[in-house]
Amino acid sequence: MRRNVAIVLTALLLGASALWLMPASAQQAPPPWKQGQPADLANSPLAPVPQPPAPKAPGEIPVDKIKLPAGFKASLWASGVNNARAMTWGDKGTLFVSSRVVGNVYAIVDKGNMREVKTIAKGLNQPNGVAFRNGTLYIAEIHRITKMEGIEDKLDSPPAMTVVYDTLPKDAPHGWKYLAFGPDGKLYFNIGAPCNICIPPDTHANISRVNPDGTGFEYWAFGVRNSVGFDWHPVTKELYFATHARDWMGEDVPSDRFDHAPTKGLHFGFPYCHQGDILDPEFGKGRSCGEFAAPLIKTGPHVAGNGVMFYTGAMFPPEYKNRAFLAQRGSWNRTQKTGYKVMMVTLRSGDVPKYETFAEGFLDGGGQPWGRPVYTTQMKDGSILLADDYAGAIYRITYQK
Amino acid sequence: MLRLTALLVALLATGSAAVASAADRDAGRRKSAPCAACHGPDGNATIPGTPSLAGQPAYFTHWQLLKYRDGRRQDAQMAPFAVNLTDEDMGDLAAFYAAQAPRKRASVVDAARVTAGEPLAKQHHCTSCHTPALTGQNQVPLLAGQDLAYLQKLLRGFRDGTASDLDGTMTMAAKPLTPEDVENLAHYLASLTPTPPPPR
Repeated sequence: MRRNVAIVLTALLLGASALWLMPASAQQAPPPWKQGQPADLANSPLAPVPQPPAPKAPGEIPVDKIKLPAGFKASLWASGVNNARAMTWGDKGTLFVSSRVVGNVYAIVDKGNMREVKTIAKGLNQPNGVAFRNGTLYIAEIHRITKMEGIEDKLDSPPAMTVVYDTLPKDAPHGWKYLAFGPDGKLYFNIGAPCNICIPPDTHANISRVNPDGTGFEYWAFGVRNSVGFDWHPVTKELYFATHARDWMGEDVPSDRFDHAPTKGLHFGFPYCHQGDILDPEFGKGRSCGEFAAPLIKTGPHVAGNGVMFYTGAMFPPEYKNRAFLAQRGSWNRTQKTGYKVMMVTLRSGDVPKYETFAEGFLDGGGQPWGRPVYTTQMKDGSILLADDYAGAIYRITYQK
Repeated sequence: MLRLTALLVALLATGSAAVASAADRDAGRRKSAPCAACHGPDGNATIPGTPSLAGQPAYFTHWQLLKYRDGRRQDAQMAPFAVNLTDEDMGDLAAFYAAQAPRKRASVVDAARVTAGEPLAKQHHCTSCHTPALTGQNQVPLLAGQDLAYLQKLLRGFRDGTASDLDGTMTMAAKPLTPEDVENLAHYLASLTPTPPPPR
């Protein structure tokens, strides 16, 4: 009898450790994109937009379809940048560009009328995060953060990648990371939930930080399903971030979020409460949304907000100063596509932020994407670059009165 | 003109697939000459352990070539062929193989294993991505009628976490399989008759 109890207990414990992978209804975990799908939607045709294995040729990229406010203009700045994602500038003017499933990191050298694209690392584990400081490029893959010292002088024979920090989960779902230096000189990155919806292990669903020498790891924000874009306000130096909300709960719920984490330790609700006011049908039982930090903006269902960047340049009209650009890669878990835009967020003291469209036109006449805006970065002259991981291209957006 | 016609046919056949639309199927046929010795002139291989490429979705073949070239997928026989391929070569080859009609391999399957494998394909959600007929789509390969020894090798690799995975999905899917499940699934998949993916 005692032995049986022990076996049952052991089984329970083993089961519990694997529980976050297991939906309640099925024997085996479905693929991550299908996890949490209710039984009545089992035959839904909705599925993630497949990532093309190659970038589009310049002639196949209808950059003139990008619609912008009056006075703004988009042009093709670089093409052939397969799966182009996050961008960071080197001290000497090199643009470093990350990718995800293709596994490359690129260096782009601006030669005036043309851009030279060099692949400086390949075969990596979804290297979505790149950050640069003091001559060193930092790269975040799913399972580790590494660095290349003195890279800008060695673009044609890149130095070895040395490990900065690798005490990280290895889960692929939402394991890819955004990486950026905070105003405190620490490296910030996300550790996403390893699922669509689950009780994540304590080590997941957060924004974390570590010193550039790999010491001092700590969690900054909790209950964050997956944030792959954040930035600090140029004046207040406080952190703002975008979050992707769960799938398969409805066409119009829950909304993705734009959040504010001025202090360490806030909990943003995942997996208990979505969009600040809807309890999860499974995991929200017995919880209250009042326990958690509410979103600053509900950015819309399934819009997939990625890059967040506060504008500090001088080229755009004065009202653009300190506005945040939010690049939305766009929906898959919705019949009518949403997102596929770059939005603007204007923070207003004592009032709700203003939230409006900056760039759109990435869907063709049939409602299918020809491009997906993922991240922005600012150029020295105040123009901005916008990366498109679907077309494998980078656009430059300029303003002229 | 012939080339233009082929391109138009490719455009019609692949719909939204931008990469395939730029790819040249005739060029792919020419470039596939070195591949034919193992994979067959039309991508239907006969050597046990070597996969057939006929009818594989273009995105799938293209992604695998990319992984061989970049060293993410390692194979002593494939590496020398893949190392010098350009993006254009890979697109052309992928478009060529996608357009070839797949034939069932001459694998000897065990009837009891086939029967045991069939429910596993649903329980383990293979059909969620590989489609109900297991003919594949986009970056996800055609499995129906593939070579038994190749299916066994890949499934074992994914289960052990040693096979190259595009995004982690297969490693997660194969982890709960027992060695017995792997055998049964492989026999079931090899027993199916492949049909070309439906026109998109």
